[in-house]
Amino acid sequence: MNPLLELLTRSWADILMATWQHVYLSLGSVALGALVAVPLGIWLSSRQNIARVVLSIAGTIQTIPSLAFFGFTLPVLGIGVLPAMVVLFLYSLLPILRNTYTGIREVPGELIEAGRGMGMNDRQLLFMVKLPMALPVIMAGIRISSVYIISWATIAALIGAGGLGDLIWGGMNVYDIWLILAGTIPAALLALLASFILGRLEKAVTPRGLRST
Amino acid sequence: MIKFEEVTKKYGNQEVVKNINMHVREGEFMVLIGPSGCGKTTTLKMINRLVEPTSGRILIRDQDIMDMNPVKLRREIGYVIQQIGLFPNMTIEQNVDLVPRLLKWDKERRAKRVRELLELVDMDPDLYAHRYPNELSGGQQQRIGVLRALAAEPSVILMDEPFGALDPITRENLQDELKNLQNKLHKTIVFVTHDMDEALKLADRIAIMKDGQIVQLDTPEMILRKPANEFVLEFIGKHRVAGGGPATVESVMKSNPVIIGPERGVEEALALMKHKGVNTLLVVEQDKRLVGVVTVEKLDKNRRRASTVKELVETDIPVVAAGSPAREAFNTLTANKLDYLPVVDEKKRLLGLVTKTSIVNALASFVWKEETA
Ligand SMILES: Nc1ncnc2c1ncn2[C@@H]1O[C@H](COP(=O)(O)OP(=O)(O)OP(=O)(O)O)[C@@H](O)[C@H]1O
Ligand SMILES: [Mg+2]
Repeated sequence: MNPLLELLTRSWADILMATWQHVYLSLGSVALGALVAVPLGIWLSSRQNIARVVLSIAGTIQTIPSLAFFGFTLPVLGIGVLPAMVVLFLYSLLPILRNTYTGIREVPGELIEAGRGMGMNDRQLLFMVKLPMALPVIMAGIRISSVYIISWATIAALIGAGGLGDLIWGGMNVYDIWLILAGTIPAALLALLASFILGRLEKAVTPRGLRST
Repeated sequence: MIKFEEVTKKYGNQEVVKNINMHVREGEFMVLIGPSGCGKTTTLKMINRLVEPTSGRILIRDQDIMDMNPVKLRREIGYVIQQIGLFPNMTIEQNVDLVPRLLKWDKERRAKRVRELLELVDMDPDLYAHRYPNELSGGQQQRIGVLRALAAEPSVILMDEPFGALDPITRENLQDELKNLQNKLHKTIVFVTHDMDEALKLADRIAIMKDGQIVQLDTPEMILRKPANEFVLEFIGKHRVAGGGPATVESVMKSNPVIIGPERGVEEALALMKHKGVNTLLVVEQDKRLVGVVTVEKLDKNRRRASTVKELVETDIPVVAAGSPAREAFNTLTANKLDYLPVVDEKKRLLGLVTKTSIVNALASFVWKEETA
């Protein structure tokens, strides 16, 4: 019998479970990341000097090898879902933060001036002009972040967060290529799916007047 | 209505607006004109506090605008920005009723207002209200830019080159529309342009600016008749078309007649005439002051007796002052059977020469303006 089929019949429930854990682990982190990075990006967009500092800190976090990062948090946060989410959350920040910041900074100056000149206050300017104009760019940041995080979440299994990484590391321990594939393929499919769905969403939030016809 | 009192704006050490005094009256169409970078936009933006003066005061209805809430102030002033600036994420309707929305007008009133405004410029509301700006032509976008400023019925409207990047025909149509609108609505309008034709056509008064200062502020007619200085003269000369207001002699003169200095030799003068194919030379001093004329007959007859032009110049010749109506020059020419009539400014400096040919040329270029423009 085909070893893949055999594996599937034997442990489809495990794979499904791992996929589900993987989904909430990664999407949860990205959602939290967006919740923090979007408002922070907006706040920074009118504070260039602080923005430079914050963006470079976020950039530095991004360069810490993920394995090492999990190692650092181990003594502080222990193992499990929580520390994994904290690390993934920190990783998800940069793309969203950077896109929010530049998306808003790149709203054409004449639109800001038109809005101000017609009597919008800061809040109205943000919600009526800046955010709608920057939304496609912000969404792109969230999409990029999601794809990264889905792939990095496989490493989270090392600190006991579960997910598809469990299958991969398990497979590596027992030299079972099929088990490794059972973790890798769903992870890759998840990343593609997320990218596809968020890509559609990105188009949907692009104001009709901004779409190239 | 709008009063500038010694208003100065500095960016760093650069004074871009210098000590401006100006009073725009209620219901007046005031045009600010001048070369690029002279401070027109800066002056305009100080009225709605997008730019704040470094010193001096601006009063609207006798109230210092620095004492007003800027957001409230701006909602009461219509503003058409230089780059149109329609919001691409909003429909035409949403763009036009933006200020009414900010002012919390109810829905029906806003919808009614949008229809009314679109109809005002002959754009079918059913066809256009729900389109986006990128689905309109440039001319239509500029119309919407103007409507957006009119929407909340402000009594003051600021317009910064609202018809800037348009082809001449659309531009003229929009100017006509604006003029009709203004005849109906009597707003107080401050309008920036660098096109003299546009200024002459629309303005009740024109403020000509140069390097941050107002060089002359007057009605179009007075500016054409009595340009304050060389700069103004050059500015209107370049842009003049026998159109708005009575045409002046400058618009029908030829601006580079053949001239010679009084100290020049007779032989030289004759050679110049032959070379240029003329039978008269205008004699002018170094500072361009007109001395008189010499004719080919007189030079020829006195070839041996005289050595310089000065000795043969006829000084008692009819001239016409800059700014006088072209018609007057034409009448003088025909009544006295003259071939030419020099145009001089108040210091008797030569500006040009009116001849029957130059009048015909000016008429021709007026009649066939579209083709030659
Ligand atoms: N924010 C600014 N900071 C520094 N300098 C400025 C600023 N805005 C305008 N200037 C300068 O002030 C001068 C006047 O500018 P302004 O925009 O008022 O000119 P303008 O007459 O409207 O010109 P144009 O016809 O090209 O629109 C220019 O020299 C410009 O470079
Ligand atoms: Mg300007």
